[in-house]
Amino acid sequence: MIDILHVAKNHLLIALRERVTLFWFLIFPVFLLVLLTLVFGQIGQEGAISFEISFVNLDREPSAWVSGMIESVFDELGTPDAEGKEPLFRIHKPEARQSDEAFLELETLALRRGRRAAVIVIPEGFTGEVQGRFVPIDESEGAPASDQTALLIYHSEGNAASGMAVEIIDQILAGIDREILVQGGQFDPAAAIPGVTTWIGSEEGGATYVDFLLPGIILMGLFTNGLFGVPGSILFSRDQRVLRRYWVTPLTVPRFLAGMAIGHVALSLLQFAILYVIGRFALGATVSFASLAAVLFLLLATATFMAFGFLIASVSKTANTGMAIANILNMPMMFLSGLFFPIAGLPAFIRAIVYVNPVSYLAAGLRAAVGIEASPFSLWLVVGIPLAWIALAAGVAARRLRWDVSR
Amino acid sequence: MAESILMRVTDLVKHYGDVHAVDGISFSVADAAVFTLLGPNGAGKTTALEILEGIRDPDSGEIEVFGERLRRVDRKTKERLGVLLQEGNFEPYLKAREVIALFASFFENSRSPAEMLERVSLTEKANTYVKNLSGGQKQRLAIAAALVNDPDLVFLDEPTTGLDPQARRNVWAVVSDLKRTGVAIILTTHYMEEAEALSDHVCIMDHGKLIAEGSPRELTARLGQETIIEFAIGDASDEDLHPLSDCCKAVRADGGLVSVETTDLVATMRSLLDWSKARDTSLDNMTVRQPNLEDVFLSLTGRRLRE
Amino acid sequence: MKIYLALLRSETAIMIRDKLTIFFTFLFPIIFIFIFGFLMGDIDQPTARLGFVDETSASAPFPIDILEASGVAEVVDVADRQALETSVRDRNADFGLIWDGRALEFLYNPSAVQENYAYQQIAAGITDAFNLRAQNLKAILPIEKVHVGTEASTRWFNQMVPGIIAFSILSSGLFAVSGHLTAMKQRRTLDRLLVTPMPPVSLLAAVATVRLVIVYASTLITLLASIAIFDLAFSIDWFEYTILVVSSTLGMMGLGTIIALVVRRPSSAGNVANVLAMVMMFLSGIYFPIELMPRFLRDFSLVLPLRHLADGMRYVTGVSDMSPLHFWMIILVLLAAALVLFPVLARYVVRPERS
Repeated sequence: MIDILHVAKNHLLIALRERVTLFWFLIFPVFLLVLLTLVFGQIGQEGAISFEISFVNLDREPSAWVSGMIESVFDELGTPDAEGKEPLFRIHKPEARQSDEAFLELETLALRRGRRAAVIVIPEGFTGEVQGRFVPIDESEGAPASDQTALLIYHSEGNAASGMAVEIIDQILAGIDREILVQGGQFDPAAAIPGVTTWIGSEEGGATYVDFLLPGIILMGLFTNGLFGVPGSILFSRDQRVLRRYWVTPLTVPRFLAGMAIGHVALSLLQFAILYVIGRFALGATVSFASLAAVLFLLLATATFMAFGFLIASVSKTANTGMAIANILNMPMMFLSGLFFPIAGLPAFIRAIVYVNPVSYLAAGLRAAVGIEASPFSLWLVVGIPLAWIALAAGVAARRLRWDVSR
Repeated sequence: MAESILMRVTDLVKHYGDVHAVDGISFSVADAAVFTLLGPNGAGKTTALEILEGIRDPDSGEIEVFGERLRRVDRKTKERLGVLLQEGNFEPYLKAREVIALFASFFENSRSPAEMLERVSLTEKANTYVKNLSGGQKQRLAIAAALVNDPDLVFLDEPTTGLDPQARRNVWAVVSDLKRTGVAIILTTHYMEEAEALSDHVCIMDHGKLIAEGSPRELTARLGQETIIEFAIGDASDEDLHPLSDCCKAVRADGGLVSVETTDLVATMRSLLDWSKARDTSLDNMTVRQPNLEDVFLSLTGRRLRE
Repeated sequence: MKIYLALLRSETAIMIRDKLTIFFTFLFPIIFIFIFGFLMGDIDQPTARLGFVDETSASAPFPIDILEASGVAEVVDVADRQALETSVRDRNADFGLIWDGRALEFLYNPSAVQENYAYQQIAAGITDAFNLRAQNLKAILPIEKVHVGTEASTRWFNQMVPGIIAFSILSSGLFAVSGHLTAMKQRRTLDRLLVTPMPPVSLLAAVATVRLVIVYASTLITLLASIAIFDLAFSIDWFEYTILVVSSTLGMMGLGTIIALVVRRPSSAGNVANVLAMVMMFLSGIYFPIELMPRFLRDFSLVLPLRHLADGMRYVTGVSDMSPLHFWMIILVLLAAALVLFPVLARYVVRPERS
């Protein structure tokens, strides 16, 4: 027994001492966790994103109350609030001696170059146009605005910030639209049908982004550990003739394997602990792994990925080949699994990869076990497919895994 | 003193296709003795040893270890063996004492890492990572690992190859100590001085076969009461050297170095001096010595140990 | 010149026989494109499926056209609340709407964390439009949206591909030095060359030439693949494209030189290069839009070479815009880096190895 424990302890120690391993298995998942939370966690939250937009009001008559109203609404949204948080918009307007045309040209150029999210132009005569529409609608009316008097929102379609800014601007303008209709006596706010939000399943507003992300990152950490760490350790030790020195002693291969497995589990445990602590205490995740189901899934994941690592080691002649295979498999397995991206709209042959990929099932199972979302796969599949992979890997490894370089 | 045979090998054979790596060798190893397999690179020494260590399968032959006949060395036997492989490494990121502790855990009975490191003079490096050890230090660590279980039979495959003279002497000291404690040692080497210095019993191997065996003294005695005279000469053709063969047993010219075997030193010296005066050549760097194992090998095969 | 040509021949042979490097250089970007193309290819199109339950007794039919005009891809009629909850929970519908005559109740699945924000926007739009219609009104403000920019820039994936290409150029350049050359140094194959009269510069020139050819070919193949498989649109200025690829490769070899110098052991240089490349990939706006990152990260990305490589790549493929001054500045910096660092690299190559 003590030999197995020594092998296990050394496996852990070596992984922690090799700086490369330390980076990829511990530091990198933490990095990703923090980065993704920072980037995506703030979407939809107040004060999170600030958009740079340009605003020109060409409708400057004193009687142009509509345009004035719009402008003041945006001005207010462009003012930082009492707590000094960044305002929703950073508004750029023409300078004192700048002509409107010059300003527009500069700003649309800036928009094209990604320095602005949107450019809003209120044309001359806008208020007049709006006032002219204050007549009850009949079916045949509703002529579209002519080019000259529509409020223009310039945007850049493929640019994510621009897209989001435009949606927000749309909503704001819709609100102003309503307000004008109310003031004009046309819209009866009392008769307005409210929109109500209901969350299915849980009581409050649902999981936060980091709750959704944390199980995924943990799984990713376990995955990289198994995919790279296991074959790396076996193949390099074998090729460097480190293992050979063990085989001339009473240590047998199964005992060595047992030690390696324990060491691997210990390393995975460490990974989990660090990610969980950071997710929970630094990023505010509330998701809990304290259930039996969650623990079992974590163990199943660790075992599946370790088995996968053995599979890779079995089919690799040299360490370099093994690492190459791991590199090639890494991306498809990680991304075509529903871990980070929804897999709904994928074409059939890509979805085939998703269905074969054990990560897909483990991710679904783990997320279900911690209460994030129900699994799209049945329990049989979620446990069965990983087990099938373990069996396959065990079979192949038993036959093909070489523990010594040449005989 | 009754000698007990710890290992007996009979007609061991290992072929790789046409290559007869081990071509039917037999020998036995007694306790408190150093048994050496001496031969040039490619003679089959390591292959034979790996079979006895249990990491290679023989094609045929009998192996008897600790009184038991085995086809393959089993786990129980390994408890009493100590093995130093010719090629092998330790995990670069383990400390020296961790390596010994690891190997110690494989055996039921073992010594402490501190003790083993002390024995090979590596106490100072106990907490040094393997990757930061020199070649000689790594080899000493490997020896410590090989001896951690107080083995009765130790295999040392080329233990000093690639080591500097100081490190080599250290290893020799360890081997002598071992012998004194009653351990049986099987050593392979292609260094003649090592075989002469350490061995009780030498088997000379070439191309998979045993071509001679005995103590170093017995082997060199085969060459009779001979003396070897060697000298350097600029350019000597076979005709030039021909006259010399009358006065001595054998004459060999090897790229400017001539070696002459003789049983009558005085007469041969006289002839040599006459010969050199007649040709007006000088005999440079002349040495007169007793035959050694290199000469034995040379006389048996016509080749040198160190090609 | 003769030496250079001979080294060119041998470096080419080495490269061709090194199946692993070839595979990675050519295949990796294509795998990237493949995966992300399918995952995110239609991210700009509406994809939301709305499950709809009408609990009223059909006296006033619900104006379905509002739903269709709101940015929803598909409206699915569902029998009742129970069925709708199941549907949303199982992700057969992305979100749901129950109309009971008094309120518009929108159902969301809490676990669709990334998408719910967008669905809520749609819901707000629906509520709005519904209320206007209910009171027989139309929106009074005439609004028009104008897309500024090339046609190619309208798809996010179109923006991603040049980023992926930029990354593959970065890796190739980096690993040519902190990988290939450092391995030669470590394995002492370099020593054998250096005891001859061969000038180290010739070796570097040969390595650089081979890399340039491979990289250029790989970028072209990647472009071709993305056009063929995903029907992307590019408008490539070949002159500027070539200049960018050449100076990027050389500039990144310069970066690799810095790594090789700073990292003492040649075997670690490759690992450090790998780490740096990975970190840069996430922080340079390639995987996800840089506009979404917090300000301090966005500013930080300006010191990352990959950020500028990706921006430049988008410019020369006609995907997004950049001032010509900015572009040529990038080229200048890259070439300057290469120019300054090549002699340094030459000296590194001959520096005796302390083992």
